Amino acid sequence: MERLISGLTGKYVIFTAAFAIRLALVAYGDYQDRTMVVKYTDIDYHVFTDAARFITEGESPYNRSTYRYTPLLAWMLTPNIHLSMMFGKILFIVCDVLSGLLIYRILRLRGLNSETARHVCALWLLNPLPMGVSSRGNAESILAALVLGTLLCMEARHLIWAAVLYGLSVHMKIYPITYALPIALALRTTRSEDIKRWRWRSFIGFMGSFLNRELLLFASVAGGVFCMLTALFYYMYGWEFLHETYLYHLTRRDIRHNFSPYFYMLYLTADSRWSQWLGLAAFLPQLILLLVASWAFHSDLPFCCFLHTAVFVSFNKVCTSQYFLWYLCLLPLIIPHLSLSVKQGVGLLILWFTGQGIWLGPAYFWSLKATTPSC
Amino acid sequence: MYFVLFSVLACLSTCHCFTGNDENHCGLLKRLLESSRVSVEINKKGFHREAVTTVELSPDVLSGVRVLLVHRWPRGVYLDPYQLASLSVESDWQILLDSAIDLELPAHKTSGFVTYVYPTVDGPTPRLLKVTIPVHGRYHKPSYDGKTFTSVDIEAPELLLRTEKCTQLSIFEPHAVVDAPCTADNSSACSWVKLQHQQEQGAVGLQFPVGDGSLVTPVCGGTLLVTMISCVALSKYLWKHRLV
Repeated sequence: MERLISGLTGKYVIFTAAFAIRLALVAYGDYQDRTMVVKYTDIDYHVFTDAARFITEGESPYNRSTYRYTPLLAWMLTPNIHLSMMFGKILFIVCDVLSGLLIYRILRLRGLNSETARHVCALWLLNPLPMGVSSRGNAESILAALVLGTLLCMEARHLIWAAVLYGLSVHMKIYPITYALPIALALRTTRSEDIKRWRWRSFIGFMGSFLNRELLLFASVAGGVFCMLTALFYYMYGWEFLHETYLYHLTRRDIRHNFSPYFYMLYLTADSRWSQWLGLAAFLPQLILLLVASWAFHSDLPFCCFLHTAVFVSFNKVCTSQYFLWYLCLLPLIIPHLSLSVKQGVGLLILWFTGQGIWLGPAYFWSLKATTPSC
Repeated sequence: MYFVLFSVLACLSTCHCFTGNDENHCGLLKRLLESSRVSVEINKKGFHREAVTTVELSPDVLSGVRVLLVHRWPRGVYLDPYQLASLSVESDWQILLDSAIDLELPAHKTSGFVTYVYPTVDGPTPRLLKVTIPVHGRYHKPSYDGKTFTSVDIEAPELLLRTEKCTQLSIFEPHAVVDAPCTADNSSACSWVKLQHQQEQGAVGLQFPVGDGSLVTPVCGGTLLVTMISCVALSKYLWKHRLV
């Protein structure tokens, strides 16, 4: 049995198998789309393809309604129009397997041996959720690869590459901006004295510790990449780019298909004058937890990023099922270092699925049957 | 002279033929208007439904008659233009929307819209037409009077008929003559005769669930309390187990 598991997770076997399974799913998805009424491909993939089509015709991708991503994504998917509709999905599954490879490299750098690292990688590579998401045509795997790339470069102290990848990931989706604080805390000059009592001098010293070469280099490269991309696309597509890519997500109050704990509150108060204050009140727990998590765990950057993402997703005003992938890709990095027993881990997993079930059950009845389940 | 007489007679007979045919086509249209039926029923449940429009044209030769269905949709529902575009590739009808549709707005922030459906674009019009259009419900405002459902009424579409070969449309009183796009590409307008609405089918009512607005205070209070308590508990736990 041990030899079988060992053989199955052999270094090249697992990556090849993961890619092959995803490729098979893409092929099956194409078959299902052509023959059955219920389509395999996600509606988002059609949105990306339509936006790419607008670009090939020389127009703005934002002519496609509900396209709320960076133009870079539509540009990357223009081969969907020139070559084949499958190109985008192949790109996403390649990024998915690449994410697995990056997880393996980070685990090796953090001191795991090759075999254990491969077993842990299997949690991502052979996990049906990322397989399904990428083969259906969601672009989350690109962001997972960028975030994991940033963490790998930080772990290996290639700061310029880390900064480039970080700037790119923030450009693609806003949420990695929350990693800025733990990265800054990790890169600052650590002093030997412990801050026991807050005084002006220690406060100034604390602020001064942020002004070192590494942090300034990281900030300027990441900021430069982000600003350059923003300026380029603003020049090409104007205000609509800023609104759809960033501002919409910041002010988004999605009252439909939403896992957020705030969803009903926001639905009931959508048109009231308290709406803005409630939005702010909903933002506070998120902010407080992000600050506390940054300070408490910045010395272990992957763990800190995982906590950040979990807090961000759980306490956000909008949460769709894609958001779960944002912290799922970081979970394999921290699992080897957890002191949870297997029983506790499985218990927590069951709790997570139960929560999903309690939410999705009534949601199914509400949306597809329009009945309110009698409690 | 015989030649002149013959050509005059031929001319007169063709003129008679033309007017006779015109009368035949107009008579056909009149008979169609008197005995055609149009009805709509809504299938499926929930927020994603199907509107199936059935048109029964009276049993007669139907060559050259074109049909147009005009649906006037209320603000509580919407159609997805992208879904319609992919559907009309697979089926034989084409649809024209009178305005851009925002897919995400709640009902009270939008207005109704009109669609023009052209069944069987190519080929002769059959006697029984069925057109299935996917319809989606919009989210509505919460109710404050204890009702858990809100009603949206869908009326049967207007049936418009025309034929190239009948041009005297004024003879079809009391059926009104209206202008509408000739085809789904909206390049030109034509005159159509509108079937007088039968009274036997009224509007079809759709029920969509809505939230309970009277629960605003407990919901807000409860949500904020739970999230604040979670925040405090997690912060304490994180701080206790921080890495130095």
